[in-house]
Amino acid sequence: MPLAPVDETVSIGDLVRDPYPIYRRMRAETPVVRVPSVKRTFLTKAAHTKMVKDDVVRFSSNDPTTPMEPAFRAHTLMRKDGEEHRRERMAMQKAFTPKVIKTNWAQLYRDITDRYLDRLPRGETVDLYSEICAPVSARILTHILGLEGASDEEMMRWSQQLIDGAGNFGWDPKLFEITDKANDEMDVHIAACAERLRAEPNDSALSLMVNAADPIPWSQIVANIKIAIGGGINEPRDAMATIVYGLLTNPDQLEEVRRQEAWGAAFEEGIRWVAPIQASSRLVMEDTEIGGIDIPKGDIVMSIQASANRDEELFEEGEDYHVFRDKNPHQAFGTGPHHCAGAHIARRTVGEIMMPELFERFPNMSLPDPEAIVWHGFGFRGPLSMPVTLN
Amino acid sequence: MVKVTYVAADGTRTDVDAEPGSNVMQTALDNDVDGIVGECGGAMMCATCHCYVDEDWTGATGARNDGEDDMLDCAADEVKPSSRLSCQIKLTEALDGLVVHLPEEQA
Ligand code: HEM
Ligand code: FES
Repeated sequence: MPLAPVDETVSIGDLVRDPYPIYRRMRAETPVVRVPSVKRTFLTKAAHTKMVKDDVVRFSSNDPTTPMEPAFRAHTLMRKDGEEHRRERMAMQKAFTPKVIKTNWAQLYRDITDRYLDRLPRGETVDLYSEICAPVSARILTHILGLEGASDEEMMRWSQQLIDGAGNFGWDPKLFEITDKANDEMDVHIAACAERLRAEPNDSALSLMVNAADPIPWSQIVANIKIAIGGGINEPRDAMATIVYGLLTNPDQLEEVRRQEAWGAAFEEGIRWVAPIQASSRLVMEDTEIGGIDIPKGDIVMSIQASANRDEELFEEGEDYHVFRDKNPHQAFGTGPHHCAGAHIARRTVGEIMMPELFERFPNMSLPDPEAIVWHGFGFRGPLSMPVTLN
Repeated sequence: MVKVTYVAADGTRTDVDAEPGSNVMQTALDNDVDGIVGECGGAMMCATCHCYVDEDWTGATGARNDGEDDMLDCAADEVKPSSRLSCQIKLTEALDGLVVHLPEEQA
């Protein structure tokens, strides 16, 4: 079988600005394609992205060439396979269940959302992205993880710095100096919180891990709390901003979402349409074949869920935001063993609390200039601001 | 072929013919049965494939697999003694006629 065709035309800059026309072309012409500028083989069809993430024997998460390890100063659960991965993952998974949210936290999350909404001035144009989407996501995550005492600013900065470090494929030492400093700060704060939670346990992720009968090593507790910091703020933030955009630019859909209280469907469609995490890498463990293309052992394939989520084979008019789809089998939370640990939380906090509270508070909110919104990102993607007029 | 009946939370019944060797989650997806999401593809990491095995069939489907209890705790709807993650129920000829009930909520 042939090797993957090579696409020399695509630059990282193009992908960061607007990858969607590129992915559409790839799905039609070269669904499995080597992209030298990213040093990865792109998989753009839903069947292939899913197959790769479901098959951990042929496609490992343990890719030693990523900058994630220096950025987190650890080998985190995202880069492990098999039993070791499951053990670390289950150590915190119970803090992320629908039941814990419903019984212990939902009211607190509503109160937090209300408090931040209270601060917004009516009749003015405000940036929801920086005033609501980001800080509310950060505040809620602080409680889920058991990191009380960290400010919104710290949580958002740590999250961003970890993500920038993990994406530092140019191996710029300056970025690792920044993550080193952030890691020092987080290490101190996480240790202090652990001390408190040993004395006063609660249902947070850190408390569950430190008070477990058979705890995982402290180094891994810290590493995996950091994964949740890196994974739990920017994605809900970007998801929420994207959904606000989708609904405000489709007023007929907004009307119907309100009538049916279909906030969950609006959420699912938002993350399908612009997946907050657009791509994930896997290391090829043996010579294999994908879609009639030979893939050699040692290659790194990129599962482009952003593209899978618009695959013509699964979605009609996939380039557009349509809440009321018959089926929505998107892969925005991934699939396989590394399926997002926070999926239930994101669905409940953004979909069931933050979105309805926002639109209830400001029913006539409007987006003065949709064209002015800048969308950004290749690995992670979302709008850079969301200025709306409130009334 | 193995016949499986899915009973939705509102009582709607859907009968499908499954391939032996497949599982109850994958069979639902392959046949467009609503009410099972199966988002992690059977890796036992999402709990969006929760089902209640009909009381006539709990013996035949057997006990929960290793680790299944822990993941069931992450299910959105109430967990009962008959609760299973449908990706963990492998279909064999012995399960021909299996009836499973679906919860109201999966995610
Ligand atoms: C809309 C919001 C979110 C989206 C779209 C999202 C998406 C994803 C995706 C695609 C992955 C898999 C990456 C891969 O396959 O390599 C993932 C993993 C993960 N996510 Fe999320 N996420 C969201 C919210 C959250 C939240 C709120 C938390 C924290 C509680 C969280 C914690 C995690 C963790 C810990 C992992 C690693 C799981 C593992 O490797 O086993 N995520 N997320
Ligand atoms: S499909 Fe995810 S747990 Fe069964």
